[in-house]
Amino acid sequence: MKDLIRIKSLISAEVEALLNQQVKKEATSSSIYLAMASWCNRNGYDFSSDYFFKQAEEERQHQLKFYKYILDMGGNAISPDVTGIKQEYNSFREVFEEALDQEISVTQSIKNIYARCLKEQDFVTNEFLNWFLKEQREEEYKARRALELFEVIGEEGTGRWQIDKHVGGIKYDSEA
Amino acid sequence: MVTTLTTNPQISTLSDVFSTQNGAVYQCDAERCWYVDFAGKVAKFDYRCLLKLKKAVYNVDIEAKLLDSSKKPDIEIIFICACDHTYILTLLQIIALKEILEGTFVMLQLNNIIQDRLYRVAL
Repeated sequence: MKDLIRIKSLISAEVEALLNQQVKKEATSSSIYLAMASWCNRNGYDFSSDYFFKQAEEERQHQLKFYKYILDMGGNAISPDVTGIKQEYNSFREVFEEALDQEISVTQSIKNIYARCLKEQDFVTNEFLNWFLKEQREEEYKARRALELFEVIGEEGTGRWQIDKHVGGIKYDSEA
Repeated sequence: MVTTLTTNPQISTLSDVFSTQNGAVYQCDAERCWYVDFAGKVAKFDYRCLLKLKKAVYNVDIEAKLLDSSKKPDIEIIFICACDHTYILTLLQIIALKEILEGTFVMLQLNNIIQDRLYRVAL
């Protein structure tokens, strides 16, 4: 008996489901960043707003990377529903705290897929995920650095204005 | 695509995948498809449609239907998008079809493991 399912698709149904879940997660991330960009813009934090617009675009690119990978491997990529995005924040700091939380949850989710692929010996998908693991280093680094500005500069006086100015300058250029 | 057959396909070209008292699934290597023998008919499913059938059947909340005390008939329409084929099943038939599909996918996975470990390594 031929292995018809394997002929059609390189990835297993479980990995496909996990990758589709990740597509949704990246889409949600992108929408959250867009909401953050709007909030920052409305409250006069121009540099942070630009920073979040860029982040939203990056998350969208990640979503498409997963999406195309699923299709290229013969799977069924599902365009996700994204609802219930938080639009209002209580403070400037809360925006960055939630941004970091979001990145941590994305890293965790990619680690879960990686673990599943190792279990199945799906080294092809593992190799694909390597790029994302490296990307998460940068994403978490930037989110953490932004939050640290609140400690270093402080929010008193013109603190928030200073923080906003420095958010745009955060870069990750590690060669490691 | 899905085709309903009025007569059984030539059994010699089919491999048994899984069967119960209520029905069976056969695989045809030449046509790269499966034949689902259930509820009085034999229907042909390709890869995409078989997955859609599985999803449609698994999505029926059997527990909720069992607990439903309203006087609605316990009939479920299994409609598969882009397939000219529909199942109209009672709750007991849904349970039976789900059992067949579960067994089928376990067997297909087993076949995948056997192919990976025995044949593909040896090639």
